[in-house]
Amino acid sequence: MATLQFREAIRAAMTEEIERDDDIFLIGEEVAEYDGAYKVTEGMLDQLGHDRVIDSPISELGFAGLGIGAAMNGLRPIVEFMTFNFSFVAFDQVINNAPNIRYMSGGQFDLPIVFRGPNGAAGQLGATHSNSTEALYSNFPGLKVVAPSIPDDGKGLLKTAIRDDDPVVFLESELMYGMQREVSEEEDYTIPLGEARVAREGDDVTIVAHSKSYHIAMNAAEELEEQGYEAEVIDPRTIKPLDIETIVESVIKTNRCVVVDESNPFASVASEVTQQIQDRAFDYLDAPILRVTAPDTPAPYAPNLMDEYMPGVDETVDKCLRVMYAE
Amino acid sequence: MAVPIEMPKLSDTMEEGVLSAWLVDEGEEVSSGDVLAQVETDKATMDLEAFDEGVLLKQLIAEGDAVPIGELIAVIGEEGEDISDLVGEAGGDGAATTEPEPEPDAEEPESEEPTESEPEPAEPESEESEAEEPTETAPEPEVDTEPEPAPSGDGQLRERTPEPVPAGTDAEGRRIKASPLARRIAQEHDVELAQVEGSGPEGRIVRRDVEAWVEEQEAAPEPAAEPAPEPAVGEPTYVMPDEEAAYESEDISQMRETIARRLAESKYSAPHYYLTVDIDVEEAVELRADLNELAEEQGRAKISFNDLITKACALSLHDHPYVNAAYRPDEGEIHKHNRVHIGIAVAIDEGLITPVVRDADRKGLSEIARETRELAERARNRDLEPEEFEGSTFTTSNLGMFGIEEFTAIINPPNSAILAIGEIRDTPVVEDGEVVPGTRMKVTLSCDHRVVDGAKGAAFLDTVTSYLEEPMNLLL
Repeated sequence: MATLQFREAIRAAMTEEIERDDDIFLIGEEVAEYDGAYKVTEGMLDQLGHDRVIDSPISELGFAGLGIGAAMNGLRPIVEFMTFNFSFVAFDQVINNAPNIRYMSGGQFDLPIVFRGPNGAAGQLGATHSNSTEALYSNFPGLKVVAPSIPDDGKGLLKTAIRDDDPVVFLESELMYGMQREVSEEEDYTIPLGEARVAREGDDVTIVAHSKSYHIAMNAAEELEEQGYEAEVIDPRTIKPLDIETIVESVIKTNRCVVVDESNPFASVASEVTQQIQDRAFDYLDAPILRVTAPDTPAPYAPNLMDEYMPGVDETVDKCLRVMYAE
Repeated sequence: MAVPIEMPKLSDTMEEGVLSAWLVDEGEEVSSGDVLAQVETDKATMDLEAFDEGVLLKQLIAEGDAVPIGELIAVIGEEGEDISDLVGEAGGDGAATTEPEPEPDAEEPESEEPTESEPEPAEPESEESEAEEPTETAPEPEVDTEPEPAPSGDGQLRERTPEPVPAGTDAEGRRIKASPLARRIAQEHDVELAQVEGSGPEGRIVRRDVEAWVEEQEAAPEPAAEPAPEPAVGEPTYVMPDEEAAYESEDISQMRETIARRLAESKYSAPHYYLTVDIDVEEAVELRADLNELAEEQGRAKISFNDLITKACALSLHDHPYVNAAYRPDEGEIHKHNRVHIGIAVAIDEGLITPVVRDADRKGLSEIARETRELAERARNRDLEPEEFEGSTFTTSNLGMFGIEEFTAIINPPNSAILAIGEIRDTPVVEDGEVVPGTRMKVTLSCDHRVVDGAKGAAFLDTVTSYLEEPMNLLL
């Protein structure tokens, strides 16, 4: 094990994979000469060379399409969006071409491509730079969506995503890039997509949370422990395919569930998790499933409003107490 | 052409009407404007008029039946006309289920006492229970017997819940709220949810409630044998554990009911507003002391300060007819009373009553004092005759003896105002720029704005004030 920042874990995954397989390359804005806008790709150009680490023009639609074409021709591109807010400019490629090419060609083409970059709100960036895109991309059949919460998962899942023969949207977070945690140094360290991680066990309430929200969930669980309640925290890690079995198993044990998801609430990952639980575990529910999400508004800029806007530990604890009828 | 007659909406708040009497028999001719029946609404008994000519072919509900607005209650048409489709339609609505009853049916009592419009006598009551039962139970089997044409959604629902969920409703037919898990546990343990008290929001029964109940049952095996057959109805069949009851219940007394009804009616219908004045009662207090010294010497009734106020109000009301008035919207009139009868609120054990000092403006202080004391005494003994607490034209309420400085009272209908009297208190007052000790009393006049406008109320209070501040006038 090594202690790595999230950005280093992501970098390690990409570097190891690019070194392992000649077909893999990285393309994106500022990924090469500038070492990445968030220094995720720092040193990769020197280590791997211009053929494998490629600066793109500021043209998301263009280089996303280039990536898809390359993938159709046998390469395995990693396309970095400086943030996923800019992926909207490449929408047609990401949601219409990438997920549909295998299907439309009757299986003649694989599409081994990873779209990766930071997702979600990251402080005072304003409404247009604070979008959470996981629910959006999960809505399109053919795309896999991964959103790790800790560096180790980041590394293991990204390596798997790169090796996957289908398009994967891999969602990171600016705010977590500096987070330092233990990361496996195992050779060929991969974590399968579609497997949730039970981060903490408990009998009283299940908290489901991915990406940054996972850390809110863990802190809430600690606070609940001080109040005498044991929360089980589950990080789905992969949004799609969703490991609903692990979640349902937990809810059958605890009978209550709170989903923390910093996205806007309407048609969110939290909505989907909630729906699937009630579908599969209705008779085990002792309370309505509650969600902790951002409100249904654009993200504000002012720091005090932003504090209000983002889901927090207190709200999560409150909702857990509510579903336990413990208020 | 047969014309259906439906329960009309006879008042704004009416939701259902009781057919208190049929005034036209089946087979009788009616013409437009004839009164077919009397209908009792939430407010009054009103006439149900025919708008068409013809023969009353069918009465579909019995006297005493309550049916919602829009429900088919009768059919008018031509003699011998086939109305089976109209009446048949009504079958689904439930009310008409009185019709296929084998008994000779509802018309009978009517022919015996056709002139009685009162719905009160005992018969309608028994009819009501007879008629209401089928209306409640009839629709259910009907729904059950025709599931074939039901939309597919219905069928899915049925599949999803193949086993009957235990006790979906409580004894009063309300849906029981329980979490899915609580329902499942209840089912596993054969627990009727109707017996379990829910601790969740809005009484939702949750896991811990069912588990606690099961535990209790296991702890007290004796009554556990009982509840299986038909526990949902009536009293729970288990014995409450030694727990402190959350409240003691008390039947609402006639008096409490009257207070509740009259005061609510007053506050809801009379737009109240309030005027407060702080009256200098120094002289009035002195005068009263003098008068009582005399009264003692002469063996007459002592005069309370309240008597002075009664007299002051009575004299003032003479000059302010609208404060001594009643708003009578149903007659389209305001009654300005020629005489002044002051009601005085008296607290008694059971509640509150307002005996009336009649013609208080014409009575001397001693007489008012004597009469008020006697009436209050009799009120406390529940010994008042109705005429002694009815017919007030104005009311006062005094809480000064409890140290209440000021308060607002609810108008005692049909009065148009009430005076709320606070305590007499020593208080610093400013006189000629100097702070000096003073004696003051606050009174608050609640006025019915429909009769007494602000300026009128203020003018009345000004008169009361001058009587009390120059109290010798009370003796003239």
